[in-house]
Amino acid sequence: MDNMNPLRESELMITRRQLFGRAALGLGTVALADALGPSLLANSAGQVDGTHFAPKAKRVIYLFMSGGPSHHDLWSHKPKMREMFGKDLPEHIRDGQRITGMTAGQKTLPVCPSKYKYTRHDNNDQGVWVSDLLPHTARMAKELCVVNSTFTEAINHDPAITFIQTGSQVPGRPSLGAWLSYGLGRVNEDLPGYVVMHARSKFPEQSLFNRLWGTGFMPSEHQGVLLRSEGDPVLYLKNPAGVTGRDRRAQLDALAAINQEQYRQFADPEILARIQQHELAYRMQTSVPELMDLTGESDSTFELYGQEARQAGTFAACCLNARRLAERDVRNIQIFHRGWDAHGSLPKEHESQCKDIDQGSAALIADLRQRGMLDETLVVWGGEFGRTSYCQGKLTETNYGRDHHPRCFTTWLAGGGIKPGITYGQTDDYAYNITDADGNAIKPIKEKWTPGTMHIHDLNATILHLLGIDHKRLTYRYQGRDFRLTDTNGHVIHDIIS
Amino acid sequence: MYRALTLLVSTFVLAFSRGALNAADTPVDFAREILPVLSNKCFVCHGPDSRKKDLLRLDSFEGATRDLGGYRAINTSNPAKSEIIARINSADDSMPPEKAEKKLTPAERKLIQRWVLQGGGYTKHWAFVPPTKPTTPSQGHPIDAFVRSGFESKGVSFATEADKSTLARRLALVLTGLPPGPALLESYLKDKNKNAYERLVEEFLSDPRYGEHQARYWLDAVRYGDTHGLHLDNKRGIYPYRDWVVRALNKNLPLDQFIEWQLAGDLLPNPTMEQLVATGFVRMNPTTAEGGVIPAEFQAKNNFDRTETLGTVFLGMTMICSRCHTHKYDPIKQTEYYQLMAFFNSTAEGPLDGNKYEYAPVIKVPSNQSTWEAWEAFKAKQIKLVNQAEKLKSELDKKWAKAGRDERFQTLAKPDQHLEKLQKEASDIAKKITDAKAKFTTTLVAKELGKPRETKLLQRGEYNLPTGEALQPDVLKVMSPFPEGAPRNRLGLAKWLTSSEQPVVTRVLVNRIWQRVYGEGLVRTPEDFGLQGQQPTHPELLDWLAVELQDSKWDLKHMLRLMVTSKTFRQSSALRDGVDDPENKLWARGPRFRLDAEVLRDIALWASDLLDPHMGGEGVKPYQPAGLWKALAHPASNTKQYQQDKGRMVYRRSLYVYWKRTSPHPMMTLFDAPSRESSCVKRSRTNTPLQSLSLLNEIQRVEMARMLAERLLKQGNTDDERLNLLFTLLACREPNDTERDACGKLLKSMRNRYESAEKDAIELLDTGEVPRDKSLNTTDHAAWTQMAATALASDLALMLF
Repeated sequence: MDNMNPLRESELMITRRQLFGRAALGLGTVALADALGPSLLANSAGQVDGTHFAPKAKRVIYLFMSGGPSHHDLWSHKPKMREMFGKDLPEHIRDGQRITGMTAGQKTLPVCPSKYKYTRHDNNDQGVWVSDLLPHTARMAKELCVVNSTFTEAINHDPAITFIQTGSQVPGRPSLGAWLSYGLGRVNEDLPGYVVMHARSKFPEQSLFNRLWGTGFMPSEHQGVLLRSEGDPVLYLKNPAGVTGRDRRAQLDALAAINQEQYRQFADPEILARIQQHELAYRMQTSVPELMDLTGESDSTFELYGQEARQAGTFAACCLNARRLAERDVRNIQIFHRGWDAHGSLPKEHESQCKDIDQGSAALIADLRQRGMLDETLVVWGGEFGRTSYCQGKLTETNYGRDHHPRCFTTWLAGGGIKPGITYGQTDDYAYNITDADGNAIKPIKEKWTPGTMHIHDLNATILHLLGIDHKRLTYRYQGRDFRLTDTNGHVIHDIIS
Repeated sequence: MYRALTLLVSTFVLAFSRGALNAADTPVDFAREILPVLSNKCFVCHGPDSRKKDLLRLDSFEGATRDLGGYRAINTSNPAKSEIIARINSADDSMPPEKAEKKLTPAERKLIQRWVLQGGGYTKHWAFVPPTKPTTPSQGHPIDAFVRSGFESKGVSFATEADKSTLARRLALVLTGLPPGPALLESYLKDKNKNAYERLVEEFLSDPRYGEHQARYWLDAVRYGDTHGLHLDNKRGIYPYRDWVVRALNKNLPLDQFIEWQLAGDLLPNPTMEQLVATGFVRMNPTTAEGGVIPAEFQAKNNFDRTETLGTVFLGMTMICSRCHTHKYDPIKQTEYYQLMAFFNSTAEGPLDGNKYEYAPVIKVPSNQSTWEAWEAFKAKQIKLVNQAEKLKSELDKKWAKAGRDERFQTLAKPDQHLEKLQKEASDIAKKITDAKAKFTTTLVAKELGKPRETKLLQRGEYNLPTGEALQPDVLKVMSPFPEGAPRNRLGLAKWLTSSEQPVVTRVLVNRIWQRVYGEGLVRTPEDFGLQGQQPTHPELLDWLAVELQDSKWDLKHMLRLMVTSKTFRQSSALRDGVDDPENKLWARGPRFRLDAEVLRDIALWASDLLDPHMGGEGVKPYQPAGLWKALAHPASNTKQYQQDKGRMVYRRSLYVYWKRTSPHPMMTLFDAPSRESSCVKRSRTNTPLQSLSLLNEIQRVEMARMLAERLLKQGNTDDERLNLLFTLLACREPNDTERDACGKLLKSMRNRYESAEKDAIELLDTGEVPRDKSLNTTDHAAWTQMAATALASDLALMLF
C-alpha cells in the first residue's frame, strides 16, 4: 500500500497521542493539555514544562513506613503519660473513637508511655523532640518539617494503605505515583519515570499490593517500575544466557526492519512508537546497570549512608539508589519499608525498624543537601496511620504493644519547597487527639480544612502543589467522572511551604 | 444590576438572533448535542444533586422553565428573553461563573443559544430510551448499510477488502484468540467456494478455543481472580466459575440465561449444579478478614462493590457517586443506589472471608472440563439406567404375574440376564460417581438468607450511619420499571436486566461485543453510557444491534457472526489517504490493534507447539521471577510463595494463569491486563520499553522461541522454507523481499556468532525446562532461536491487522 503521506502521518501521530493520553514521548504534557486547553501546548516548542505553575520541587522521594510507625515512640514527647502509666485512658480522651477488633475485647486500655528517652533538638523554630530511636534523623532537625497532626480515615492496614497511596480505601484508583507520572511524565528517557523499591525488614509483617503503585483505571504505562535487589534490577532487563548486547543489537535491527515493513503496509503510527520503545529498552539495558553500579561511590558516601548501603535491598541502599535516581532526573521515587505494625513487642520491633531506616533517611537528606539538590527534591516520610496511646496486650516497663490509631500521627517532609526546621500541628497530652493552639481537642474533617491539621488528601494536595500541580486540575475522566487523587477534598497547606 | 444586565444582553441577542434564525432552521438535537454540554458544564451546580433548594435546575424542562421571579432560564413564550442566553453571553456575570473549572466554548454557547431559540425543548438521554429497530437504509448486510450511511456526508466509501490471508488471521484471532493453523489456512486459501469465508467463521465459532478466548473479556468485567484480593490475599476456591463461563460460551448459552444464572442461579427452581456454579459472579468481590475489621463495615463495602460492578458491567453506568449523594450528572438518586444494593444485601455469606479457601457457602463440583463432561455423562447414564430398569422391571412383573408356579420357580433359580447386566452397569457407574465426587473441588456460590437483611440508606456511604426507613429492593427508575410479578430478589433483578423494556443492558453488551471485534466500541466509553459518556459513532447501528440481540434470543454467536461477516469488518485496515479519521470513527477501515497479553503468550505457545490443550482446572503457575510475591505478602498469607508448576501446566493457555489479585503475573500486567480487583470493560493498550524487555528476555519467551526454532528446523529444509513457515504461522503469509532480506541478515550474523561460540549457543538453548533436541546443529538452532524470538517480538505477532 503506497498511500502514505509522511507529513500527515506525523500529525496524526500527535493527534493520537493527545487523544489516547500516551506519554511515551515523556513530559506528561498530555494530562496538562487536558487540563489547560491547547494554549499551553501552542506556546511550547516541544519543551513544555509540565506543570500548572512554577514548581518548588522537581521530584519527590517518598519513604513509606508500612504498618504504622508509633508516633509515641519516635516523635511525640508526652511526659504526662508517664504519670498515668498503666491507668485506663480517660474516657473523654477516647471520646467514642472506634477501636479495632484487636483491642476492643480488652478489659482496660492502659496508658502506655514510651520507654524511650526524648531529646529536644534545635530546629529553625521552637525545636523538635525526637526519641533515641532516631538519632541520625534527629540531626537533620533543621531540615525537617515534622507534622504531628496527620490524620486518616481507615483503621485497618489494607484500606488505610490503599487510602494514603490512592486517595480511596477500596482498590481501583490510580496511585499517587501514577498521578505524578501522568502529570509530570518522564525526563530521562533511558530510565523509568516512576521507580518503586522495597527495602528489607526483619519484620515484614504487613502486606503490600501492586495497587499501591498501580494505575487503577489509568493506562498501565503509568505504573511504578520495581527496582529490585533480587534477580534483574528491572524485570526482564538482562539478556538471556548466551545473548550479548551485540546480538541484541542485531536482533533489534532486524526487528525494526520488519516493523518498518508493517508500517509501510498499514501506516499505523503505533508501530513507529513501538520501534522507539524497543530502542529505549536497549538503552535501559545500559542505563540501569550503570545506575545500580555503586563502584564509583566514594568511601565517604558509605560512611554517610552506613556500610549497609553496600548490600542491595537494605533501606540504606535504597536511599542511595534514590539519590542516584534523582541525579538522573527520575522524578518519582518511592521506597516501601515494611514491619512497623507493632501490636506486641513494640520495643524489639521498632528498635530494629529504626535501625534499618534511620541512618539512610538522614543520609539521603544530607547527601541531597551537599549536592545542592535538596531544594529541588521533596522528601516525604510516613506511614498509613499512627499507634494507640494505650497498650495492646500486657503492659510492662520494658515491653508493650500498640494498636492502630488513625486520629493523629506523625509525618515529616523536607526539601523541595518545604519550610525547613519547623513542626506543624499539636496533639493532646496522650498524643491521641489533634488539638488547637490552646490545647483543646478538635475533630478535623476532610471536607473543611482546619489550620494546624493535615488530612491524607491535604498531604497529597501539598505534594502535588510542590511539584507544580494543582490537585484540583489534575483530573482523569473515567465513567463520566473527572477523578482526582484528592477526590473532592484536599487543601494545600501553605503554612509549611517556604 | 442583574436585571439591567439581562436587558443589555438581550438587546445584543435580539440583534444576533436575526442572523441566528437561519441557523436555527436545522433543529438542534437536544439529547445528543445539548444534554452532554449541560451535564458536563452546568450540572455540577444546576443538576440532579443541586445543593441549594431554590437554585435553578437544568436537568429537566420543568426546572429550566420555572419562574425565577419575573424571568426564566428558558422563556418558552419569548425564547430570546431567556435568561440562559443572557448569562452565557454575559461578560461580567457569566455562566458558568468566572471561577468555574469548566467553561463553555464559543461553539457550545452558539449551540445552546440556537436550541433555546428553537424553544428549548427537552428529551430523555438517548441511552435511557429503549432502542427500536430502525429500518436498514438499504439492501445488503445491515451493519454495512448503517456504516455506509455514515460515509455519505463525508464522501468516503468502504476500503478494499483485506487480502484473504490477513482476513483469515484477523478472524481467527478475534474469535479464538489464536491464529489459524497452516493446514486450515491453506485449505481456506484454496477454497474457491462462494461461502468459503462463512464456513471458516463456523469453523472458529465451533472451536473450543472460542469459549476460552471470549471468556477472558467477561472475566475482566466481573473481576475474576483466584485470591480474595485484600490483606492476606489468600487463595479462594472459585475457578469452577471460570470454567463454567468457558463452557457456557462454547455451548452458546443465551446471554439472558447467562446473566440470570450468574445473578440468581440459586433462586431458580431446582437449580442445577451449573446454575449454582454460575452464582460465583455474586461472590466475586474482593474480601478481607484483616484482624480487627468491623463486620458491618465490610457488609457494606462488599455490597458497594457488587452494586457498582453491576453498574459497570450491565448498565454502563457509574454508580459510585450515588453511594454518597445523588448523582451529579445522571438521574440516579441516592435512595435508588441503596435500593439496588438491597438486592445483594441478603446473601448468606458472612462479610469476612476468614482467609478461607472454602469461604461458605460453597458447593463441591468437578474440577476441570473433562471431569465435568465425564460427570454429565455419568448423570445421563444414571437416568438412562433407571429408565431401563423401570422398563425391565415392569416387563418382569408382567411375566411373573402371568407365569405359573414352575415358571416362577425357574425365574427365581436363574436371575434375569438383562437385569444382572443393568445391575452391573449401575454398580460400575455408582463407583465412578463416588470416585468422581471424591475429586470434586470447592466453588463459592450465592445463597439467599431465609429472612432478608434490612437495607437502609447510608449517609455519605458510611456503614455506621444508616438513616430513614428500610428500603425495598428496586431498580433504577430512569431506565425501566421493575417487571410486574417478578420476585423482589436477585432473580427479579436479573429479569429486569433482561426484560425487553430495559433500555441500556443490550446496548452495553453489544457495544462490548463490537469492541472485541473492531478493537473499539461504537460507544468509546463502554464503561459509561450516562450523560457524561461519549455518544455512539453510529447510534442507529447500536440500536439495531441491541434489538437484534433480543430478536435472536440473546444469541452471542449470531451477533459475532453478523459482525465478522460484514464488509465493514472485512475491509483492509491500512490507513487511508484522504480519509481524515485517525480514530476510525467512520469505520472506513478494518480493525487494527495490539493484541492482549494473553493472546501474545498463547500465540507463541501455539507456534512453538508447546501449547497444552488441557481445559479448565486450578490456575497454573508458569515461570515468574523469584521473590515477586514474597516481597509483598503477609507472612501468614498462603500466597506468599510462588511455587512454579512443573511439566505441561507451564504451557497451558494464559486464561488459566493463576490470578493473584494483589500481584498478577507480570507478563500480564506489563501488557495492560487489569488486576481484577475492580471491574474492567476496556483495557488500555500501552507501549512501553518494559514490554520490549519482557518480549525478548523472559524465560518462557526464550523457551518458546527455541522450540519454535526447533519446529522450523525440522519442518523446513532450507532457510527459505523455514522463513516461509515462520511467517505463515505468525502472519498467515510468506515474507516479502524486504522482510526476507532483514531476516537473512540476522540469520547470517547469528550463525557467524554462534559458530565460534558454542558455549553461548548451548546456554541459550538450555533456557527453560523442555529439553532441546540435541540432534540439531547447535549453531543453526541458536541462530534460528534468535530469529524466532525476533519475529515473535515483532508486530507480525503483536498486532492484529
